[in-house]
Amino acid sequence: MKLITFITRRIIHSVFVLFGLSIVIFVISRVMPGDPARMAVGARAPQWVVDNLREQMHLNEPLYVQYYYWLRDALHGDFGISLVTRRQVADDIKEFFPATFELALFAGVIMGGAGIFLGTVSARHKDKWIDNFVRVISYLGVVTPAFVFAILFLLLFGMTLNWMPTMGRISAGLSRPPVVTGLITVDALLAGDFATLLDALWHLILPALALAMGGMAQEARITRSTMSDNLTKDYIASERSLGIPEKVIMRKFLLKPSLIPTVSILGLDFAATLSNAFLVELIFNWPGISRYGINAMLRKDLNAIAAVILILGVVFIVVNILVDIVVAQLDPRIRLAPGRGE
Amino acid sequence: MPSLTPESDWLQEEVNNVTAQANSLTLPKSKTMENIGRSWYKFSRNPMSIVGLCTVLLVVFLAVFAPLVAPYPEHAGAFVDFANASRPPCGRYLLGTDVVGRDILSRIFFGFRFSLTMGVVVLALVVPPGVTLGLIAGYNQGTWLDTIIMRLTDIFLAVPPLVLALAICSVLTPNLFNAMLAVSLMWWPWYTRLVYGLASTLRNEFFVSSAEAIGAGKAHIIFREILPNCISPIFTKMSLDMGWVILIGSALSFVGLGVQPPKPGLGTMVADGAKYLPDQWWISVFPALAIVVVVLGFNLLGDGLRDMFAAEEV
Amino acid sequence: MKVRRWTIIVTVLAIVVMMLPAAAGAAPSNQGQSYTVQKDDSLWLIAEKYLGSGAAFMAIVQATNAKHAEDSSFAEITDASLIQPGWKLWIPTKEEAESLLAALPPAPAAGKRALNITFAWPTYIDPAVGSDFSSTSALCNLYDTLVFPNTKGGVDPHLAESWEVSDDGLTWTFHLKKGVKFHNGSELTASDVAFSMNRLLEIGEGLAYVFLGTVESATALDDYTVQFKLTKPSGLFLISLIRLYVLDEEEVMANVVTPGPYGDKGDYGKEYLLTHDAGSGPYKVKEFPLEEYLLMEKNPDWFGTFAPNAPDEVRFIATTETATVRTLMSRQELEITDQWQTIEALEALDAMEGVDVAAFPVLTEFYLMIHTKKPPTDDIHFRRAMAYAFDYDAAVALEWPGTKQSRGPVPAITAGHNPDVFVFQRDLEKAKAELAQSPYADKLDEYPVEYHWITEVPAEEKFALLFQANMAEIGIKVDIVGTPWMSVVEEMASQEQSPHIVSIYVSADFPEAGSLLKVRYHSDAAATWSQNEWLLDPDLDAKIDDALATVNQDERYAKYRELQDYIVNLCPSLFLYDQVQKHAYQSAYVDWPAAKGEVIPVMGYNMYAPVIQILPH
Repeated sequence: MKLITFITRRIIHSVFVLFGLSIVIFVISRVMPGDPARMAVGARAPQWVVDNLREQMHLNEPLYVQYYYWLRDALHGDFGISLVTRRQVADDIKEFFPATFELALFAGVIMGGAGIFLGTVSARHKDKWIDNFVRVISYLGVVTPAFVFAILFLLLFGMTLNWMPTMGRISAGLSRPPVVTGLITVDALLAGDFATLLDALWHLILPALALAMGGMAQEARITRSTMSDNLTKDYIASERSLGIPEKVIMRKFLLKPSLIPTVSILGLDFAATLSNAFLVELIFNWPGISRYGINAMLRKDLNAIAAVILILGVVFIVVNILVDIVVAQLDPRIRLAPGRGE
Repeated sequence: MPSLTPESDWLQEEVNNVTAQANSLTLPKSKTMENIGRSWYKFSRNPMSIVGLCTVLLVVFLAVFAPLVAPYPEHAGAFVDFANASRPPCGRYLLGTDVVGRDILSRIFFGFRFSLTMGVVVLALVVPPGVTLGLIAGYNQGTWLDTIIMRLTDIFLAVPPLVLALAICSVLTPNLFNAMLAVSLMWWPWYTRLVYGLASTLRNEFFVSSAEAIGAGKAHIIFREILPNCISPIFTKMSLDMGWVILIGSALSFVGLGVQPPKPGLGTMVADGAKYLPDQWWISVFPALAIVVVVLGFNLLGDGLRDMFAAEEV
Repeated sequence: MKVRRWTIIVTVLAIVVMMLPAAAGAAPSNQGQSYTVQKDDSLWLIAEKYLGSGAAFMAIVQATNAKHAEDSSFAEITDASLIQPGWKLWIPTKEEAESLLAALPPAPAAGKRALNITFAWPTYIDPAVGSDFSSTSALCNLYDTLVFPNTKGGVDPHLAESWEVSDDGLTWTFHLKKGVKFHNGSELTASDVAFSMNRLLEIGEGLAYVFLGTVESATALDDYTVQFKLTKPSGLFLISLIRLYVLDEEEVMANVVTPGPYGDKGDYGKEYLLTHDAGSGPYKVKEFPLEEYLLMEKNPDWFGTFAPNAPDEVRFIATTETATVRTLMSRQELEITDQWQTIEALEALDAMEGVDVAAFPVLTEFYLMIHTKKPPTDDIHFRRAMAYAFDYDAAVALEWPGTKQSRGPVPAITAGHNPDVFVFQRDLEKAKAELAQSPYADKLDEYPVEYHWITEVPAEEKFALLFQANMAEIGIKVDIVGTPWMSVVEEMASQEQSPHIVSIYVSADFPEAGSLLKVRYHSDAAATWSQNEWLLDPDLDAKIDDALATVNQDERYAKYRELQDYIVNLCPSLFLYDQVQKHAYQSAYVDWPAAKGEVIPVMGYNMYAPVIQILPH
């Protein structure tokens, strides 16, 4: 299958999935007990205020009509008004998503970089102490939830050693660089403001590390196992017999084919990072979309809940498609498979 | 697993294994005592598997007999002893006490109960429908039934399970039951996907077509011919999933949407204790480690089982 | 983190130098002079030595750079925190330094007097939306009001210079100060006041409830006279005007989004006012990234008077996370903490150097609200038994030192509080005697009491557990359930679903007993979170309404006192303690009136920044 056909099919398939997801999300957000309008305006507001808001939110219509309105508006990028921030949910998402994306991106870099490095080291020194050490660490990394890492890091580096900042994206005294991408590190770089760049990176380290630990461990395990499998392959042995130095073999012939499973898992882990961010952002007070989502859930802010899940769904799907493409580029033998279930 | 996505790379491997297994046979073979002995040998050859098994057995033991083994069983619920509040770990309270004077160790033992209940109930709710749907879709591959079922799973798999579970919990009254319900709603598609992959391969195998040729009913073929060949991966996945479900459960109770205080949910204890960091670090750190221990135990066990099954019939 | 490290080093050096009097031999000179940097020098240190103040170091930077342009043997200073030994600097005379400093653009952020306060998000700065602690704290800094609350529970003139009320108590006329300017420069007039009231009433959210049902109309008689017509006489009207924040009509209406829910007024400026202010107050919004912080800067054109060291910038930081708060405090990046820190956290903060805990009484009481319509708590003897069995002293001991058991249904600092009201004390004998009279006495096991506490306030669990233990002593079984706030609000909306007991803190809107009694015990407040009692007592309702409609203050207070006796007789709640609001703050350099006992007993006003001083540190 050609790349373009593949992408088109995946996108069409994704549209159906998203449509189904939108129904699920809508149902979840409307079966909620209690009157969201009353919740929004507070216990002491008179009834007519509540009635007006209900009218405005179409809450008095039958469910399918509500769904129609909701979907119609959502397609226009209008997710309604957040009951907590009191403004367009779309604006909220525009503001909070970059923070999460920056965090996940940073975590992804750590995950991939450190994971592949550890895996390679481990494979090269198979069954030596360093290999065993990496294996134990990565096992622990895989089973430890991100929020436990977050708490431990916070306690250790943030509070006990007092090395790192424990909240937010930049220090209180600094002002943000002009918003171009919304990623403070990138914006600071564009503005040439290195003090802010450093500060932002400094703030990123702990939460990104807490998010990356699990994925990193997974990458290390996968890289190690595929690499050590490939090490026993004939073509490596023949290269060795030709007297090619071990380092060159490692770098040139072993790493690339061994990366294929790593990359596909990396993609999944990156997407999963967005979901783990829910707890990590809460702990590090990171003003991202996940913290926004959690707050929305705890306050029953239904428009915001629906939008956040939908956005995460879109990101999840896009990342999956990208991963498939990257894997195909890495390994021409892999025929682009049709989407899931096809 | 950090990613909270129960899918992993071994899925494809599993499909290959099972196909290879099934191909080597003409009909599904029932296990004998000799087989079990051999399996145990394979399993016990890896010390990590044994560690996992022991951890799981220990946790189950502590949970079941919590009222007997916990040093202060009454501390599990509503109890106050302000004179002994916020004690650091000491001889009397091995893991210290929380801000109202309850023994953390005892509460962790009882916390295991909620975690295990969560895992067992969710899997009990999820596996039968998930597997059945996967078998049906896989056997009827290419038909409208397949399309409907698999599209439905796609929808649920389009978002990380934690996110949807959080959303569902948030609209319901927060308690253990609803948390289990929410996680179950999110979890069945993973089994459908797994079994679908296996079943759609197996249905083209020789033993299935022979059964069809004899005129066996669909139900017979699905449940008596195909299902037995899917058992070992399902079993492995269940063991691994126990860990993940417990993890998601603790994440839910961490944000206040799972086990409600004064009941000692492990996630709830971590979240409550986090408010007293760094001085009373033991209030949150030990329950957090307890979560790690449980998940680790089930993972090691699951890996051990997988290796055992993979090696079994070869 | 080079920058931060240097700042610390510079500061430390400066302190060291200040502590070594006469260590500097060089006398301040009358002409400028050149100076060669020595090892361990810093600009601050040099400025301290030659110009008398470390803070004047920018003058040296300016002067040296000016010299560098003519004579390259002088150094060029690009980063004031980084100078190298051997560099040649030019030190101006004091007079030159002063003129140089005066010519500088406004000092960089680091040199400003900053007041950082943590808050529980969300903060709504639209006067028609916000009503909680963080919102009112922001509103009183951004907007001005006709009258201003004082520490005695009354009001002083503010935007209004004087006022009069008609004999029937229905018409109030206010005369405004002239020349008050909004932040945008236009003048504040009576029509803006009328607009602000009408907008509040039409939107109906936030603090509107203090005027709804009372205010009939607001009209501007001329530019400086505004008149309010009331539907009924109200003893609370004057003080309630502290919640009428005056907006610039022109600015609001210029930023209306149409179409909106308010007809031709579109969204009535709601979207704009979410992140902008349209006020005249001592501070104005500078930056407001939602859910992160609200940064306000001083309004130099404010008509009032700032304290000499009033903050230049006030930042509300949207977090209450203990760990974060602690770290920020230790780095002096936070001046005053939020009020939600646990006792344990406050103790730890109190132990920090230069940090103290300010604890002052507020209009908040902590109640165990008892359902009076649901068995077994529908029986008064049962309720009285619980009231006698509870260990109030133990409860008070769990709180911050200085907390006192409540005397009756309103906090003792409220005007109109009845100090002679009956107060329950723990007495197990009496408790048992009361219980014996209850029809439920011999079937206590069949009637467990369900007690809900709010999980968002973890400290409440302690009281729940204490209550449970106390009740067990007289045989009453209590099930305690931690319940999230939203679920509690839902439960309390229906008489059937309301639990037997809920523990909730309720604050009075105004420092008068009546305002609290109304929301606690009037039938109008049934089905809201401020009443779980479900008294539904028409006599009581009539009495409360009558008291509130009494314009004469002494008569009104007398009626309040009577009401408190009446309510205590019904034993509808356990009155645990009058809340003491606690904030850790940097006592070493923050001069905070509330911490010194000058407390304005109205929500939000203790964060009124013009009277808070940030001393050099």
